[in-house]
Amino acid sequence: MTSGTLTPPRKERAAPDAPRPARRSRRKPFLAPYLFVAPFYVVFAAFGLYPLVFALQLSFTDWKGAGEANFIGLENYTYLLTSEEFWSSLGNSAVMWLLIVPLQIVGGLAAAVLLANAKLRLRGMFRVAFIAPFVTPLVAMAQVWIVAFDTDYGLVNHLFNSVGLPDVDWLQSTVWAKPTLALLFLWKTTGFAIIILLAGLQAVPGDVYEAAALDGASRKRQFWSLTLPLVRRSIAFLVVVQTLAVFQMFAEPFVVTQGGPYGSTTTGGLYLYNHILASDLGTGAANSFLLVLLVFALSLLSVRLLRSRDE
Amino acid sequence: MSRSFVPRRSVLRGALGAGALAAAAGPLAACAPGSSGSEPRKLTGTPSASAKGEITIWNRSGDLFKVFDAAIDAFRKAYPDIKVNHQAVDIDAKLANTLISGTDLPDGSFWDDAKIGGQAEHLYDLTDLIAPYRDRTSAYKLSVNTVGGRIYGVPWDLDPGLLWYREDLLEDAGVDPAGLKTYDDLLAAARSLREKNPAARPLHMEKDPLLGQLWLEMLAGQQGTSLADADGQVRLDSKEYRNVLNWVRDAVDDDLVTHAEYLKQADLAALENGQQALVPWAVWWSFAPQQLLKKGKGKWRAAPLPAWTPGGARSGAMGGSSFIIPAKAKNPELAWLLYEFLCFKEPGYSAVYGPSEVYPGGLTTSVPSYGPARRPDKPLFEPVAALGGQDLWKVAVDAADTIPSAAPIPAWWAKSVDYLGNNLQRLIEGKMSPDDVIDDSTKKIQRNLVDRA
Repeated sequence: MTSGTLTPPRKERAAPDAPRPARRSRRKPFLAPYLFVAPFYVVFAAFGLYPLVFALQLSFTDWKGAGEANFIGLENYTYLLTSEEFWSSLGNSAVMWLLIVPLQIVGGLAAAVLLANAKLRLRGMFRVAFIAPFVTPLVAMAQVWIVAFDTDYGLVNHLFNSVGLPDVDWLQSTVWAKPTLALLFLWKTTGFAIIILLAGLQAVPGDVYEAAALDGASRKRQFWSLTLPLVRRSIAFLVVVQTLAVFQMFAEPFVVTQGGPYGSTTTGGLYLYNHILASDLGTGAANSFLLVLLVFALSLLSVRLLRSRDE
Repeated sequence: MSRSFVPRRSVLRGALGAGALAAAAGPLAACAPGSSGSEPRKLTGTPSASAKGEITIWNRSGDLFKVFDAAIDAFRKAYPDIKVNHQAVDIDAKLANTLISGTDLPDGSFWDDAKIGGQAEHLYDLTDLIAPYRDRTSAYKLSVNTVGGRIYGVPWDLDPGLLWYREDLLEDAGVDPAGLKTYDDLLAAARSLREKNPAARPLHMEKDPLLGQLWLEMLAGQQGTSLADADGQVRLDSKEYRNVLNWVRDAVDDDLVTHAEYLKQADLAALENGQQALVPWAVWWSFAPQQLLKKGKGKWRAAPLPAWTPGGARSGAMGGSSFIIPAKAKNPELAWLLYEFLCFKEPGYSAVYGPSEVYPGGLTTSVPSYGPARRPDKPLFEPVAALGGQDLWKVAVDAADTIPSAAPIPAWWAKSVDYLGNNLQRLIEGKMSPDDVIDDSTKKIQRNLVDRA
């Protein structure tokens, strides 16, 4: 396409009696798309891009929420990267990840296989039971957790005592607080994992299993050689999504342990919040960008692993 | 398929660029941090008694709100042309943000002493207005409301530390409460109680890190020091803090300690069954025998705290609150009139501390910070039946008079609980030594809070 074919000669364009309909028809397709997409970009700029740019700007300042903001370069980043607490919060998140994600994938897949079986009795009831925690407000569940796992008066220790086991400091010991919170997270979100895995399982065509059965493959063999490879995209999706959720985990430790005892349940999300709460907005912003980078890297790794298996 | 006149990627790129430019150039420049800082203002003029207008006042919800509501009624009678909108608000959650944003501000608010220093730039400087009352107000309360030599809060309550003890158990163990003059005497009394009852762990040590640190500050304040000096520098590494921490370690090593959260079930159970018999705590612990204890009701008494050195101060402050007037308040002068009435005028402080519908015997959980309101011969609240009819007023005001002055509480104080409060817990659990607590807390508070303040 050359400019000659698109642009009329200057003389012709300047002529007062130039045919108007022709000019209108050229402008319309040029402006209309922009007008139609403009609302999205305006909203995106106001609520997506502007906060992002603002937060990035903040991360290079010492702003406390009031008064002057001084540009301090990379100081917030170097402070965090040399801070024992920052690494400890990431360590806590990593331990939580190990306690949650593998267990959730294995347990969620087992439950999804069970629920996919049309012969299962009370299938509807089980589905409701699995999904109910996912739609229940987290704060209500967290309060139940606090009462149930109270050292002195909690139901769990009462049950332990009834079989001769001693009290456990579930929420007040550095050893047990993380598993107790991980259990709450599992209770809350495993329903979501089951939905994703169930959708993956139901997308597998039935004739694949029929063919395998005709070839003499056992149920166990079918699971390992057909089911698992065919739902691996769903599994990879869950790994990415739950990695994001675990590293941003905030409400569970905030309500149940306030990050304690001794910071042992201060996750990346809660540590970031603590900076904001202390009006240390510059450090909070820098912390959020470091978390974004970390989660982005972990997500990229998961996607790459999936792609390499596809290839 | 028709070709797009402009490639989609270019549209996206252009729009993103335009959005970024629009976002960065306009609003960002206008709303950039630091572009709208607020300057603290000085409140000097006192309006006349015939002043008119309307003010909005924030208070904590709960019993105290009802007490103040009744006291504000007395103010309305004294100043009939001033309308007071008294609101119960979650001050801890709302006030700091409201002060920073400058919108929907009250004309005055109740606030913890520990939080005032950090927000001084958003508050009225009340130095000139408080000047006439200064000499008769607790030096401790003035010091915690002072930042850079100026006063930013109207001192309200003073929370002296006392030694709470079970009279019956001490008597059984042959311990004379009047003889508990030093902290070594207190340890000896705890040992005597345990000899009488091997299951006893007589001394309360706090398990909640924030309250634990507040308690530690009371014991340090009794010796005339505090976590930060007047310049906001950490002074934890001192003889006074070592005294306290070594004493805590000795009590723990001798197995004399009940480590429980303040008035939670485990604590209440230990108080009721006689396991705990000695609680060094603020005057507000009086709430426990009055409202929570059943078996122990009537058996608890209050005495002055032991001294750290013979003849030393017998009390320190544990907490406390004041009233602030936001620098952007609409009617600051009228708010001052109210607070002056409640804190410095006889009908005002009597209405707060005297008998009310909520507390028929008077408010017994603190004493006024204003000296003339604290006369031992003119009690504002009555002897407490739940303390066997003891005259708590006299014990508390005598203790209040001995509290040494302190330094302003730095803005980072509450955050230091993550270090000092937690390490104190580790000490009580036997996982840290006093030197470890001092070294580790000092290092972390300095790096994470002071250097970044």
